[in-house]
Amino acid sequence: MDTPQYNTDIVRSFILWSVIWGLVAIVVGLVVSVQMTNPELNFPPYFTFGRLRPLHTNAGIYGWAVGVIFATFYYIVQRLCKVRIWSDKLATFQLWFFNATIIAAAISLLLGFNTSKEYHELEWPVDIMVVVLWVAFAINIIMTIIKRQEEQMYISLWYMMAAIIGVAILYLVNAAEVPVSLFKSYSIYAGTNDANVQWWFGHNAVAMVLTAPPLAMFYYFLPKTTGVPIYSHKISIISFWSLIFMYLWTGTHHLLWTPVPDWIQTLAMAFSLMLIAPSWGSVINGYLSMKGQWHQMRDNYLVKFLIIGITFYGLQTLQGPMQAIRSFSAFIHYTDWVPAHIHMGTMGWVSMIAFASIYYLVPRIYGKELYSIQLANLHFWLILIGQLIWSISLWIAGVLQAGMWNAMNPDGSLTYTFMETMVEMYPYWWARTIGGVIFLAGVLVFVFNLIKTIRGGESLVSSAVPVEGRA
Amino acid sequence: MWEKRPILFLILATAAIMTGTTITMIVPFLSVNTEADRIESVKPYTPLQQEGRDVYIREGCNNCHTQTVRPLVSEVLRYGEYSKSGEFVYDRPFLWGSKRTGPDLARLGGKYPDAWHYKHMASPRTMIPGSNMPDYGWLSKNPLDPDLARRKMKVLDFPYTEKQIADLATKNEMDAIVAYLQKLGNDIPWRKAAQTTIVGDLKNPFIGNKDAIEAGEHLYENSCAPCHGEDRQGEIGPELTDIDMDDADLYEIIHNGISDGGMPAFGSLGSEKVWQLVNYLKEKDDD
Amino acid sequence: MDLGSILYLGVTFGLFVIFAWIVIKTYSRKNRDRNEEAKYRMLDDD
Repeated sequence: MDTPQYNTDIVRSFILWSVIWGLVAIVVGLVVSVQMTNPELNFPPYFTFGRLRPLHTNAGIYGWAVGVIFATFYYIVQRLCKVRIWSDKLATFQLWFFNATIIAAAISLLLGFNTSKEYHELEWPVDIMVVVLWVAFAINIIMTIIKRQEEQMYISLWYMMAAIIGVAILYLVNAAEVPVSLFKSYSIYAGTNDANVQWWFGHNAVAMVLTAPPLAMFYYFLPKTTGVPIYSHKISIISFWSLIFMYLWTGTHHLLWTPVPDWIQTLAMAFSLMLIAPSWGSVINGYLSMKGQWHQMRDNYLVKFLIIGITFYGLQTLQGPMQAIRSFSAFIHYTDWVPAHIHMGTMGWVSMIAFASIYYLVPRIYGKELYSIQLANLHFWLILIGQLIWSISLWIAGVLQAGMWNAMNPDGSLTYTFMETMVEMYPYWWARTIGGVIFLAGVLVFVFNLIKTIRGGESLVSSAVPVEGRA
Repeated sequence: MWEKRPILFLILATAAIMTGTTITMIVPFLSVNTEADRIESVKPYTPLQQEGRDVYIREGCNNCHTQTVRPLVSEVLRYGEYSKSGEFVYDRPFLWGSKRTGPDLARLGGKYPDAWHYKHMASPRTMIPGSNMPDYGWLSKNPLDPDLARRKMKVLDFPYTEKQIADLATKNEMDAIVAYLQKLGNDIPWRKAAQTTIVGDLKNPFIGNKDAIEAGEHLYENSCAPCHGEDRQGEIGPELTDIDMDDADLYEIIHNGISDGGMPAFGSLGSEKVWQLVNYLKEKDDD
Repeated sequence: MDLGSILYLGVTFGLFVIFAWIVIKTYSRKNRDRNEEAKYRMLDDD
């Protein structure tokens, strides 16, 4: 049970809201998925693919992922520092400002206020809200760490601090724009420069939002769940510095073969390959932490989420560097392979770790036994199968389309027109929608389980120690 | 050392983050968009084109369409001359995109006549069967805002005339986006340069071949009917029922297009398919 | 060798030295055990 001095209310609230925004992200994702096979389901002006897709990505990243980051970081930081958070009031402000920002983002995107920059579509007034939100969060976490009662900082705190600083730098630089009206602005960078800045942002947003924070959660919740420490704190230290150093060089691998200068592309390619080392440093550290504990994969549903999650991280960080190689990028870029890659990361890695964290937290902060471990297992299998259908169908689609785009006749002309290649995609897009429906079903089971736990689950016996998370 | 001192740790982490940032993100500003990659013929957007570009951004067209042709054989064949850095100096923001659900648009300008775009935007599937693009006919109901357009031109520091601004009052968003699409990739004279000169005698390899006529008919339905009509009665393009022309001349027109007349080049289909079309068009005449 | 190459090699070498320094420091006899303390202490922070 919690020592009374910790603030758990803020953790509860952020979990609640992140789950709500996560549901929105998934439902909108399903809508855009169906719109790709059935264009008559676009309802202009507000509900067309072009406006809904940014809403899907923003709700997923800023609502679901960032919401879970807020919830888990506030829980973790208090325990690793053995003090209450620095300011309760600031945290409460942050909670409501978070929701206000997400709502403002959703409305403005549907109205078409859009900068066009991927994962940074929000126009300047909402940009400012995001910055205020992040500063409030940063101050609270950093001040809590400064006044900590525990001298040495555990690795999770390192990843948290790097993420806080990283997001701040990325967001501010990429947001540089000149307003024309309340709802319209122009980037201060032009053309090739703008592209290079945007993908420096875009790729490292993945590092600082979808990699470092889930690693902080993984390094905290895995040992907490299994009851044994991580294999090596030293490996995590080496991996940490290598990861945050190398990531920033790689953004331009999104722009291979474009007019961006070749030497930047080459650096991005080389550093992307080197990134395999620190990424797998964390994966191997996770696996070795399971030494003598592998039976928990069967006995403990939380371990299953965490270990499959880190496994997808491992696969993701092999596939990513592969795509960053010029020759492979020439073949596969711009096809449906790319969204399949992204969704293995978001559905397989980030969401798996997020679900595990929430399953770990809810019984502890509400003092209730989890309503049903069987339902949690069902949830696990549904989201795993849903994600695999999603990704595998679009990997096949991507290879197929890339092959058709490149096919040439003996006389040197192209074998297929663009449309001949596009209509081949429809069956795979349908399969993707089915995968999405299964994933959503899994998340609904999760939500039901949470509601039942919070509303009426059995009280935890207060003497129960770390083992209470086990099946 | 840093594991016990959060402030020092934050400084070191920032330094680690800023190293790659400086080299790959800040240093390129020294060379990109300078005299080194400047192209004289590339011009800023007119007020109408810029309005169209903002509609393109607002509707999120970049979610499905890219705007960079990579220097790869299949890509240059499909879309045209590969993109140069100097062509994008007036693009704020850039719109290269990351996914081709629809085709690349970097060289779209001048490929089709305006009339094609109006029809296609309003109802994509009547022009491109099987397309999954949403209908955008509703754009023609939205007027433009000349005052806002003037402010935009000032912020972007693009040249404009008061007449251009005043003219916006008579136009709508559909006019704007078509004007924008027609400018894409058209500031360098690549289309003329890419045109192949056909040397030697052109001999129709399919004379009297029934299969070739059938194949040609299928090609016609997909590639030609949207402009020349299902029964070749003519719509956006002229009618094609009574063609009095050499096989070789007809081949050349289909292969190279008529760049000033709005007829796209279909050479990328390959000579076999172009000949099938020639046969279909000529043989149907004889019916 | 021109100035660019020297600069390039210099920066690369410098970065490698920093990396080696971090590894040596982390795994030095003095820090070896101390660097692992945090992972045990985090287990009893509830």
